[in-house]
Amino acid sequence: MSRIGVFICWCGENIARTVDVDALAQEVSKFPGVRCAMNYKYVCSDPGQALVREKIAAEKLDAVVIASCSPHMHLKTFRRAAQLAGLNPYKVEMANIREHCSWVHHDRAKATAKAASLIRLSVEKARLDHELQPIRVPVTRRALVIGGGVAGIQAALDIADAGYEVVMVEREPSIGGKMAGLSETFPTLDCSQCILTPRMVEVGQHPRIKLYSYSEVERVEGYIGNFTITIRQKARYVDISKCTGCGDCWSVCPLKRNKSEFDYGMGVRASIYVPFPQAVPARPVIDAKTCAKIIRNGCGLCEKKCKAGAINFQDTDKLVEEKVGAVVVATGYKLYDIGEKQDKASLAGYGEYGYGQYKDVIDSLQFERLLSASGPTNGVLKRPSDGAEPKNVVFISCVGSRDNAKGLPYCSKICCMYTAKHAMLYKHKVHDGQAHVFYMDIRAGGKGYEEFVRRAIEQDGAKYYRGRVSKITQEDGKLVVRGADTLAGVPITVEADLVVLAAAMRPADGVAELAQKLNVGYDEFGFLLESHPKLRPVETNAAGVFVCGACQAPKDIPESVAQASAAASKVAVTFAADELMREPEIAGINEQTCVACYACLRACPYHAIEQAEVRTPRGVFVKHTARVNPGLCMGCGTCVAVCPSKSADLEGFTEQQIYAMVESLV
Amino acid sequence: MNEAGQFEPKIVAYVCNWCTYLGADLAGTTRLEYPPNVRIIRLPCTGRIDFNLIVKAFEIGADAVLVSGCHPGDCHYTAGNYHARRRWILFRELLEALGFEMERIHFTWISAAEGRKWQQVVTEITEQTRKLGPYKNLYADTGNGSLPIPEAAPAVDQPAGSEGSLRQRCHQLLADGTVKVVIGYGTGGPVCVTKPADVGRLVWNNQCSSNLTTYLKRQEVRKLGRAAIVVKVCDERALVVLEKESQLDRKDLHVMGMACNGMGQPKCATCDVRVPRFADEVIGEVASVPLAGPPNAAPRGGAALEVLLAKSPAERMACWAREFERCVKCYACRQVCPLCYCERCIVEKNRPTVIDPSPTVKGNFAWHITRAFHLAGRCIGCDECTRACPAGIDLRLLNLSLAKAAEEHFGYRAGINRDVEPLIGAYSLQDKENFIR
Repeated sequence: MSRIGVFICWCGENIARTVDVDALAQEVSKFPGVRCAMNYKYVCSDPGQALVREKIAAEKLDAVVIASCSPHMHLKTFRRAAQLAGLNPYKVEMANIREHCSWVHHDRAKATAKAASLIRLSVEKARLDHELQPIRVPVTRRALVIGGGVAGIQAALDIADAGYEVVMVEREPSIGGKMAGLSETFPTLDCSQCILTPRMVEVGQHPRIKLYSYSEVERVEGYIGNFTITIRQKARYVDISKCTGCGDCWSVCPLKRNKSEFDYGMGVRASIYVPFPQAVPARPVIDAKTCAKIIRNGCGLCEKKCKAGAINFQDTDKLVEEKVGAVVVATGYKLYDIGEKQDKASLAGYGEYGYGQYKDVIDSLQFERLLSASGPTNGVLKRPSDGAEPKNVVFISCVGSRDNAKGLPYCSKICCMYTAKHAMLYKHKVHDGQAHVFYMDIRAGGKGYEEFVRRAIEQDGAKYYRGRVSKITQEDGKLVVRGADTLAGVPITVEADLVVLAAAMRPADGVAELAQKLNVGYDEFGFLLESHPKLRPVETNAAGVFVCGACQAPKDIPESVAQASAAASKVAVTFAADELMREPEIAGINEQTCVACYACLRACPYHAIEQAEVRTPRGVFVKHTARVNPGLCMGCGTCVAVCPSKSADLEGFTEQQIYAMVESLV
Repeated sequence: MNEAGQFEPKIVAYVCNWCTYLGADLAGTTRLEYPPNVRIIRLPCTGRIDFNLIVKAFEIGADAVLVSGCHPGDCHYTAGNYHARRRWILFRELLEALGFEMERIHFTWISAAEGRKWQQVVTEITEQTRKLGPYKNLYADTGNGSLPIPEAAPAVDQPAGSEGSLRQRCHQLLADGTVKVVIGYGTGGPVCVTKPADVGRLVWNNQCSSNLTTYLKRQEVRKLGRAAIVVKVCDERALVVLEKESQLDRKDLHVMGMACNGMGQPKCATCDVRVPRFADEVIGEVASVPLAGPPNAAPRGGAALEVLLAKSPAERMACWAREFERCVKCYACRQVCPLCYCERCIVEKNRPTVIDPSPTVKGNFAWHITRAFHLAGRCIGCDECTRACPAGIDLRLLNLSLAKAAEEHFGYRAGINRDVEPLIGAYSLQDKENFIR
């Protein structure tokens, strides 16, 4: 027989006004299993809690029901009180006779009867409560950072500076990401490389950061505190432990006309190359698609020239395993493909702008390379077709953004600002040039942002037209841009030497596959989903996996960096304790009766159920079964509902408890 | 009844912890008054609320049931409400076929911010149920109904020579050791042939209507070693479902598909595929029987289901009450079903007793609802349950109502496509929800 104590709270007058607490206590004390029932003015107050503790000890109570407010309000309070009195905190139930009763009913008799019924439900539940212990999960205090752009760099450095080891995986041969290719940054116009490259070097030299460049995440196993990550190190054909980065190889390589990925095709590189001079690691990589030695066993000059003997044409992809306790995803963005070839049926491209057809129609990242002092033109603005200095440049914003018809419905957020920056930087390089900007709206929310746009217009004389461009054609070596100025209500035609398209921001390629490996959700555009947009902005629904930067939504550098630091602090919080404590109200499978149909496995939103085998102590196979990974289960109970043999059950809301509750309503 | 003699309905509400429970909290915080008839059972998520709980609520005398959770996209556990929605879509159709009064079962999405909606919903449900009165018709045989008699298809002879080829192939398979046993049809019922010399016991004629795949779950058959099994196209669908549910490995099985002209059973009247498609080998050819439609056409539940659904709910309930009156809970329907393979059936679980085990009308309804819904999106329509029932209850109509629902709402037919994931355990953002308030 249970020894349940019921404590009915008056909540001052809040409950006592509508519910007859004395009659209630009398009635409740007759419920089966109830040892004692009493009422008190404020059970949540210190004397109230003391009363609960006293009674637990004096009456040797084995469960407690507090009839007061919502469990969302005070369940934790009373669990703590019970624990202080030596009662397992999970043996505490609440009956919500305030929000669900006294506050919403006025008839005293009816409210009192309902309160009794609500208490009865909680008594039935408390009777069957199990003693539970919080789940302790050991933590590997090492973090994985996926992506080595500015967000990844910031997160990695913050975590490493907090004293934890970091494994960074970068897909490209060098870290630096998109920011390394930018010229100058808004709204301060400080040189992008000047602020980023010292941070890159710091990553490269940090004693607690292990960098895997030219590598990708192959497989993710485990759960918060205990991930095992398999990393694919792509064949680099250069042993970076031997290489000194002297540069003999790429100067001797005869195949120098390959389009540079780092310059977005604006410049060229050799078949063995470092993507840019400040690369980290400053070690070359061989492009297997163009290298003559690899394709047809020719050339091999670099191998002969290399004094360190670092070239290895037999190199293959290698898989390495790393154990980490938390993961930060910072995979960044790519630009919308403006050409007509699209990866999604809903995207139609902008063929009318002639991107890919006219050499002098380029996207914004290509323009950044033309402006950059370290770019293919060494910062002298030359247009791609003939190297001439463009005197009229048209900038078109919202190419692919805010376009339900053939682009993406969202705003890419940074284009208004960088277009203003482009107009400004162009004027600084070509003093007699004229920048024309076609825009839909100017969105310049941010510290110093609106002033920056005003400067582009007022000081640097950029002409802004509110309207869209309908078509770009080439006539007599000029790009004829036809659009509208909807404020003036007139059509506009500009003869331009160069057109720059502010293409929409999209999540980087392969992010969906990565998200699936990590069990992180993503939206219809491929941006990763945070747990809660306001309260948990860098956490995901996969415990121990955090997001930052443009993989979560379009954002600029300051925001990416801020979010990266936030993610790093969340990692540090995860690592601060020796063990992670998790709520024990999770699912379990009765392996005796499970028939391994795996309906639960398919339904589990957290992929917390795995296929397992039951074996005898000697290791003889008995049967297949489903098994819950307590590190991943969040306790939703979806598995219980789909299990045909009811072999799954959920602590805290067990089948027995729920049926006992429902049956008490007879 | 209250003092004024007015009927006071009992309403059970299953709500999720994170949205509707908090919505009801908000109604309290903002002092929005509503009738005190509702009893909230707090559960973590709508994904946890299974159909047995709804049945249980009616069993204990609830006059109405409310199930409520987070709006789509708001689920605290990301997808619990989507899983729940899909199950409710199917479950409502079963309840319709059984003749439940659907105006007593309510589904809503109420968020933590919708205190007012909670107030409105509870008030309206209470008033509506008060007008409906006590749920007297639950499981009631009001004396006006009997189930329609299913129409069978004419029996046709099976392709000539198939029987000979079957025996010849089985002889080969047993002789060369490819399989250790052939599960096939004999003159008096199923036979397990283990010696090449015995293949003469195998027959193939228009009496081979039973579904042999159910023997695959038997331990004594499994012990015989790698098996070859003789299947018709309808039986073959069970293999697809079993494979999807990890219950068999096709590597361990040799499937002898028989081209079939129909066995004169009710199921044959609506059969639209005659040649097995996933078998290791197909024996016989069927004359170009005019097919009733392509494999993905609407599931023709047959005229009997249409007749049943055309009746009023009270009449349907009366039909089933009369039928289930005869049920003796022998569980032959379960034993014979190839897809009922749990080692411990839910009906044998007694902590808690989910289903009343007594062969009373209440217990029988609980069992048959559970049996039918456990086959939702899984039943392949072999009708073995109906054939096995000693009381002659036409259980197929329940299966057909769910098969029809699965096809209408999800374009899904169990066991037809090997690449499609099982219906339960998956969800789509496009699943309909016009019944959810």
